[in-house]
Amino acid sequence: MQKVEPSRDTFFSRALLFLRTKISPMTIFWLVIVSILVLPIILFLSVAFSPKLLDQGPEWFTFKSFKAAADPYFLQSIWHSFVMGVVSSILATAIALGVAWIVLRTNSAARKVWNLAIFALLLAPSYLIALGWERIFERAGVLNIAGIDLPFVRDLLYGPVGIAMILTFKGIPFAYLVISNAMRGLGEEFEQAVRVHGGSRIAAFKMMSTLLLPALWSGIAIVFAESISDFGVASQLSSPGRYSVATFTLYKSVMSLPVSFPLCAAISIILLLLIVLALFAQTRALRGRSFRVLSGRTRPITRHKLSKTGAVSANTAIYGLLVVTLGIPVFGAISASMIQGLGTVVANYQFNFDNYIRVIKSPLLRAPLLFSAEAALITATVAVILAAISSRLLVSTKNGPGKKFLDFFLLAAVGLPGIVFAIGYIFAYNLPLSQRYGFHLYGTVALLVLAYIATALPSTTRSLVGNMNQFQESLSEACRVHGSNGIKTWLTIVLPLISRPLLAAWCLTYCGTLLELPISQILFPPGHAPLAVGIDRALGNYDFGGGTAMEVFAIISALIVVAVAFGLYEKLAPVGWKQLGRARS
Amino acid sequence: MNNGHLVKIESVRKNYGPLAALDGLSLTIEPGQFMVLLGPSGSGKSTLIRSLAGIEKIDAGSIYLDKIKVNRGPVNVAPEKRNLAMVFQDYALWPHLSAFENIEYALQRRKLSKDISKRKVETALERVGLSTKGKNYPHELSGGEQQRVALARAIVADPALLLFDEPLSNLDADLRERLRIEISTLTREIGATALYITHDQSEAFALADRIGVINHGKLEQVDLPEEIYERPINRFVANFTGIAGTLTGKVKRVSKTTCIVSLGEDELKVRHTVGLEIGQDVDVLIRPAATSFKKDSDNRLAATITDIAYRGRGYEHAILTKYGTLTGVFDAGSHPRGGRILVSIDPDRCIAFPTEAK
Repeated sequence: MQKVEPSRDTFFSRALLFLRTKISPMTIFWLVIVSILVLPIILFLSVAFSPKLLDQGPEWFTFKSFKAAADPYFLQSIWHSFVMGVVSSILATAIALGVAWIVLRTNSAARKVWNLAIFALLLAPSYLIALGWERIFERAGVLNIAGIDLPFVRDLLYGPVGIAMILTFKGIPFAYLVISNAMRGLGEEFEQAVRVHGGSRIAAFKMMSTLLLPALWSGIAIVFAESISDFGVASQLSSPGRYSVATFTLYKSVMSLPVSFPLCAAISIILLLLIVLALFAQTRALRGRSFRVLSGRTRPITRHKLSKTGAVSANTAIYGLLVVTLGIPVFGAISASMIQGLGTVVANYQFNFDNYIRVIKSPLLRAPLLFSAEAALITATVAVILAAISSRLLVSTKNGPGKKFLDFFLLAAVGLPGIVFAIGYIFAYNLPLSQRYGFHLYGTVALLVLAYIATALPSTTRSLVGNMNQFQESLSEACRVHGSNGIKTWLTIVLPLISRPLLAAWCLTYCGTLLELPISQILFPPGHAPLAVGIDRALGNYDFGGGTAMEVFAIISALIVVAVAFGLYEKLAPVGWKQLGRARS
Repeated sequence: MNNGHLVKIESVRKNYGPLAALDGLSLTIEPGQFMVLLGPSGSGKSTLIRSLAGIEKIDAGSIYLDKIKVNRGPVNVAPEKRNLAMVFQDYALWPHLSAFENIEYALQRRKLSKDISKRKVETALERVGLSTKGKNYPHELSGGEQQRVALARAIVADPALLLFDEPLSNLDADLRERLRIEISTLTREIGATALYITHDQSEAFALADRIGVINHGKLEQVDLPEEIYERPINRFVANFTGIAGTLTGKVKRVSKTTCIVSLGEDELKVRHTVGLEIGQDVDVLIRPAATSFKKDSDNRLAATITDIAYRGRGYEHAILTKYGTLTGVFDAGSHPRGGRILVSIDPDRCIAFPTEAK
């Protein structure tokens, strides 16, 4: 018979005990988090109070930069960012909830198309969606060439309506992933309980929405933070004369000379406070309630068979959404990529594939795509590992300081505009202190990838929180009492149970990194231009055809990676993993 | 046949914020013994079983398994090294593994060859009557079948200690009874020490070699089931182990083990386990088995039948006396609702405790 294994009380065992309590895998996790996330954020933000700390001014402690940030020009742009964040997060989450219900709970035919389209939408950065709309409606754009001019649509596009619209489109897939993952784990017995107790379909939907509150709030928090910190839409549609948002004014401040980093840090802190508000609202809404609904007793759901009218409405809703979110930008990008001479004064436009051939042949256009694909592969893998641990910590029932600390910094990193985050990295890793200790990271590919990981971590973590929240604690406890240590419990129980959401998170991060713009622009090492920089350079050189052809190539390559990843999962994953959350037809 | 753990729990404390879940609790379970902890929700029984499993860390005190202290400063002996198994209230079956794989998982710690492991899982499945359901996933099994898989998973590796966290609370009465018998026989077959927690007194009396009654993180009484029932140490234990009702009165005469209690116009002869004085206010706790409609008793009260329930072997009645309601009054025949009747009270099965100040 096996015995209890005692811990022997020797010097060695005591030393081991000390190491176990002081240096565990979690210590390494925290070291990584502090290095890539906390340190750059804190160092940069501290410049707002203490410019002298990083040689940005004579004072050790001052509020001068906040006074400068209180200028009506900056305040107005911050207010605009807040409004855009609120509008887009609520709209995106509401739309995503409806879409998730249609896709996961009904037999709507459009659901299959949506499952493919979601990743296209995810991987298209906001600046590409905005560019697609611009290419169509701008003066001398695609419609103009076709002889159609719609100035009122153009006016709406370059203003709050256009910004809120693109931010909402961009937010939908984030909210959808979070909500759909949570909905998959939600058995249908809760809805059935409503129906058998006299509730209507709407009442059942309301009950389902209530049980999905953690995911809904996560969706709102992610989209709000993403919208507030978004630079892509701001770079295309925001302008001082019309509707300027905070990231645009920040960009202007960084690009204008002399650069006032303390002022940028002060604006960033104000943006962070807005994120804290979102976090506070999320915590308040969920406090003291349990939403653990996923267990061994959860049964697969059965899809609702839609009536004819229902099916038409559901399909119209999904296809309509796909047309405005993807169809128009894709049409804009593809048509622009096939027009020779778009963006130049050449009047004789031609339709052909020359731009694509140029991208394949020219190393200048091809190399950024390959470089970004490699960086995205590493980033997605590392970020998903860190995000799995982070999300487990965030849903832990132990409400320790570590959890709050992680929660704050993860959300802070979402709220921090990428451009500011990149500057934080320069501050942190170009310090004489880090140089003295041999950390020569500044200007290297390693620093760029670390920054990618750090910026990807918050959204990847948030996308997993909904699933982790559903994970019954007793499943891992059962594993421990039946003979598995913590690591084996993770590998054999936790990871398989969240394997599909993990794969989704990996694809999300891969796509997001492939076309990342602000960090790439600030931190790219010489000779290694990432894709977004390559596209930006091409557009900057008025090579609209070459730039948009690169966009199209990038999106197709990302779609192939996503298809291969899910294809391999379907082929190689054990049956038990795949059946979790699967609905019966 | 296995040798179960000797389990020793000494002055264990566990706090959740200001709330003491375990308040200096001590308990010894002999090897191979089936101990049932009986207590209401929030009494600390789940915390105790989780502390034994190593899922919770205690704040103070000691836990010994087989004379080995398993709590040591901030680092406990990990759950996987305690040589135990547990049946969870929600079964905790891993949804991505089939019934066979769920059971096989618990065998991995024994590092057996594939063939032996397979045979053992098949035997375990057979023992719980699920030999044809090995390939099914948890969601393809009924509640009772899921619980059987959880039971097979717990016994398959012949652990030295089996922990049961209210395993039958989610099942219907018939299934509960059948699984109770399976738990009882299978646990005794493998010879493991068992700790079973429940709030159901009938389950506790049916399963236990010994029963511990727990309240507010403290053990009120640990004894043989018969002793707990016949000689409850205080009114909480008496109350929690099943009573037909409580009548209030004054002590009129006292002898060493019995006393006469005046209820008003009537008097009752009852037992007492604590010292009582003449004139003292007392509550008389009456066990259901103390009541009957026999006519040859002097210890009787007039009552009205208020409800009747058919129980197969006879009828249980609820009656209203001048001094309060009594339930579970059994008789082979039925008595109509509203009928007047005399109820006999067996003095040996009702106990007087001093009335607690309100």
